[in-house]
Amino acid sequence: MKQRKQNEFKNGKDKAKVQKLKSKLEEETLRRIAEAAAAEESSDDSTFVSVSEDDDDESLSEDGSSISESGSEQSKLSNDEDVDQASESDNPSSGSDDDDDHQSGDSVRDRDDNDNYHGEDKHGESDDSREVVEESDSSEDEVAPRNTIGDVPLEWYKDEEHIGYDLAGKKIKKKERQSKLDSFLASVDDSKNWRKIIDEYNDEEVELTKEETKLVRRLLKGKAPHADFDPHAPYIDWFDWDGAKHPLSNAPEPKRRFIPSKWESKKVLRLVRAIREGRIKLDDKPNEKARLYDLWHDSSSSGRQGLAYIPAPRRKVGGHEESYRPSAEYIPTQEEINSYQLLFEEDRPKVIPKEYTSLRSVPAYSKAVQEMFDRCLDLYLCPRVRKNRINIDPESLKPKLPSRKDLKPYPTTCYLEYKGHTGPVMTISTEPTGQWIASGSKDGTVRIWEVETGRCLRVWDLGESIDEVAWNPLPELPIFAVAAGHDVFILNTGCGNNEEDKKIEELLHVEPQKAMDDSDTTASIVNWGQDDKHGGIRLKHFKQKLVKKLEAGVREISSIAIHPGGDNVIVGSRDGKLCWFDMDLSSRPYRVLRCHPKDITRVACHRSYPLFASCSDDSTAYIFHGMVYSDLNQNPLIVPLEILRGHSTTDGRGVLDCKFHPRQPWLFTAGADSLIKLYCH
Amino acid sequence: MDIDGNDGASEEPSRQVQVRFVTKLKLQYKAQPASIAIPANATRFRLSNIVNNLIQKGNEDWEPEPFDFLIDGELVRMSLEEFLLAKGISIEKVLEIEYIKAVAPRKEEEPSLHDDWVSAVDGSNDGKAELVVLSYRYILTGCYDSFGRIWRAVGTCTHVLEGHSGPVTSVCICSPKGESVMDQTVATASKDRTVRLWKFDAEESLNQPKKIRAFKILRGHNAAVQSIGSEPSGAMVCSGSWDCTINLWDASASDNEGDIVSVKKRKKGGEHQEPQSEGEALSTFVGHTQCVSSVVWPERGTIYSASWDHSIRRWDVATGKDSQSIFCGKVVNCLDIGGESSALIAAGCSDPILRIWDPRKPGTLSPIYQFSSHNSWISSIKWHNKSWFHLVSASYDGKVMLWDLRTAWPLAVIDTHTEKVLCADWWKNDSVVSGGADSNLCISSGISVQ
Repeated sequence: MKQRKQNEFKNGKDKAKVQKLKSKLEEETLRRIAEAAAAEESSDDSTFVSVSEDDDDESLSEDGSSISESGSEQSKLSNDEDVDQASESDNPSSGSDDDDDHQSGDSVRDRDDNDNYHGEDKHGESDDSREVVEESDSSEDEVAPRNTIGDVPLEWYKDEEHIGYDLAGKKIKKKERQSKLDSFLASVDDSKNWRKIIDEYNDEEVELTKEETKLVRRLLKGKAPHADFDPHAPYIDWFDWDGAKHPLSNAPEPKRRFIPSKWESKKVLRLVRAIREGRIKLDDKPNEKARLYDLWHDSSSSGRQGLAYIPAPRRKVGGHEESYRPSAEYIPTQEEINSYQLLFEEDRPKVIPKEYTSLRSVPAYSKAVQEMFDRCLDLYLCPRVRKNRINIDPESLKPKLPSRKDLKPYPTTCYLEYKGHTGPVMTISTEPTGQWIASGSKDGTVRIWEVETGRCLRVWDLGESIDEVAWNPLPELPIFAVAAGHDVFILNTGCGNNEEDKKIEELLHVEPQKAMDDSDTTASIVNWGQDDKHGGIRLKHFKQKLVKKLEAGVREISSIAIHPGGDNVIVGSRDGKLCWFDMDLSSRPYRVLRCHPKDITRVACHRSYPLFASCSDDSTAYIFHGMVYSDLNQNPLIVPLEILRGHSTTDGRGVLDCKFHPRQPWLFTAGADSLIKLYCH
Repeated sequence: MDIDGNDGASEEPSRQVQVRFVTKLKLQYKAQPASIAIPANATRFRLSNIVNNLIQKGNEDWEPEPFDFLIDGELVRMSLEEFLLAKGISIEKVLEIEYIKAVAPRKEEEPSLHDDWVSAVDGSNDGKAELVVLSYRYILTGCYDSFGRIWRAVGTCTHVLEGHSGPVTSVCICSPKGESVMDQTVATASKDRTVRLWKFDAEESLNQPKKIRAFKILRGHNAAVQSIGSEPSGAMVCSGSWDCTINLWDASASDNEGDIVSVKKRKKGGEHQEPQSEGEALSTFVGHTQCVSSVVWPERGTIYSASWDHSIRRWDVATGKDSQSIFCGKVVNCLDIGGESSALIAAGCSDPILRIWDPRKPGTLSPIYQFSSHNSWISSIKWHNKSWFHLVSASYDGKVMLWDLRTAWPLAVIDTHTEKVLCADWWKNDSVVSGGADSNLCISSGISVQ
């Protein structure tokens, strides 16, 4: 039994070996073997014909073995055997075993083998048996290849003197190769030399055994590699037919199967009759769809009944800090943890990294219930209306505005301050040439300033909070009007020369009126009076008269400025909106600019530059480019240019008034912080 | 060669530059012309030390003095290495460094207090006979209290010019050069729309300031006169005004034109007063569309004017036409002509940038220099009389700065003023006088412009 097993092993091993040979040995070597075999076969055919006739399978192997021992070198062969024997006797302990096996193996074989070749077989067997002993049970039956270069083409190491490295890291040297002449001579000298093959891969010389040559030969002939395998074994019918009583029926088809059914035709007749009589109505409409649905259908694509599914927000993938045992650099110090308390709840880190010795000791997530509750709350409170978002590039919605640089000049920087007032400056007015400005303050004073230097030229104390100051637009008459309390003062600025002063004096001198006239003339609505103290006129009880009604879409209008062209009006409102009315276009605002967070206190238009400004209680002033084209088809161009800051808020009020310089692109702003500032380009 | 004694020990091994120091200064400033190796990271201070050491070798009793250094006509304002790197100058060659005296005020005089803002100052009475007139040099100031004042020295006011009814906006000294100090003529412009001419004796030594009245009142402007300038010979003055015109006036005291009409009025007053004559404008230049903020009359045939209409114009006196205009896009506040062959225009606009144009340059009308160290409007600019490179500028940020065209950084910043500086001028070629909104006239002296 053991022998059989060994044989099987050997068979498998042979196959493997063949595979290896196939792959490893050079084609040339094979050819050499074939040639040699063929040559010797042909040469020795006559001698061995009779012997090889009876068994085809065996004949080849016998041929092979006969080849090896054919020729004249009988003595040499015996020498070889001697050597083998000697080598076996070299290790006596194993040698006996070998011999035992060997003998028994032979005994089995001897059934088929000819006695003639017994000796030869014994020799071959001895080789085999040695290999059998050597081979292990593991699938890696081979001795590890000497070569360690791995599965790479050998050409790569063609020029190297080593083939890979051994475990110690030393180079495995190539063996010296026999020169061709030497090998030729050796083949001449040694008849067995043809069996020697150089294994290029392992760089060693392999001598093929007889079995192997047999194998090769069988393979070349296209037969099964091992002689033991019988491809033409007789067929064994495993099915037991003895108990089969009923074979398949062979009866012909009955007639009734070919005759139309009488009952069916009756039924059809009945239906036809019923249809003709109208008892059955054929409905064109297909039946209502069964209320069945695919349970496993992908529900997300189709419209769902009930609440819309809202996926939970995607969480960030946890990093090192969320590990149960993060590196030391992720663990915050106590100071840092304390500092988290100072942060807003939203800003605090979600997870404070903490080290646990093992995953086992990590406690349950403390906020699990809280978060689940929050999520439920979110789902409960979130609106279920699906809003289809439109994908629009927000940049494309922005109006195409010209660059600020191209719209220069406009005021940008504050260079001058006019200091002197002690209360919030309520109002300013510029002289038409731009040399002076007048300002009125809550402290009851009116001041005239030199624009260029910021010098206060003159001060009038009117005692009442000044609401409005307006310079006479006519440069010949340097007078200005002041509204304080319920009165209007018209004052001489003193900026004119003697002649002008005289003219102004004449102009401002009025006869004191006794009583109010009740007639409908314009004079009737004002009460003129000489104001001796300040040298001007006092107008009393100014009655308002509605001239025109304007429709504005804002809550409370605080100021109006009229574009010098006359067709456009700017309206500033208390809710921080700035409306640009184009009178030609419509009565509704052409543009509403929402720029100030607080009340707009004043809007102003430049006389010559395409600029307008608004100032607000948020202590800023905005400068806009407002170009009105003479072409009626072209709408006015409005570009926000600059935010002017600098004033400070006092008592909730910021910038109270702004006026443009009449000739320069400069803006004066009057602040509640009792300053007047000049912003220049 | 270890010239730099005290630095030699601590000198770290850095790159060396071969330099030779040259100068155009007087003989006593000359150092030996041999080329020496100095560390490349030397700054101005260290270079100055080296030069002082070099001079001390030749001259034992040498007082160390700060120097400024020029390489290829550019002032060194950083370390030598950086400078050479920035300018792309090779350090392989022997570098020739010219040294000049550092231009910075050595001394700040006590400010002379006025009653009101000092709006104008002029210290340009550099007579020909320097040695004689030196002690009689004076400063003319205009003030917002409508008086002009003559200052002999620091804190000594000799004359008060009385008569204006509005703040004085501009003053100028129009004595012809070389004229005796006895008979000095000055002109003042005021917001009361008049220009007044005054005569006084600069030689008088007085304990009390002497009040003098104008000998000539020039009326003709319809608005405040903003600026005044005199012809180099002193025979005429021109004035720019808020009425957008420039008027030319005769500044001579000759009464033969017969304008004694007004005199009798004055004589009605109790005390005897000098006769005052009134003058009419000789001619009027119309062209500016806004206030003429500054006029300069550097040579007989041409007047330069700056205006709030963003232009600087050159007027031909003979024809009254503007022959050239420069537009700068901003309100021009002040103007001066000087520099290289008295042809460069320096102007301060309604921004903190000092601009210098070269009108001789054909084609472009962009400034050739722009200095922007000020923080606010520049109120006054004056070229140095002798130097081509030096400028003084005053600004509303309260600073007076000295400039050299050869560097973009100011040479010196004088911030003795606590308020806006309204005017500044050179005085005696080595001092800067400036007046401002703190009512002070500050004098910074000891500025050695060669």
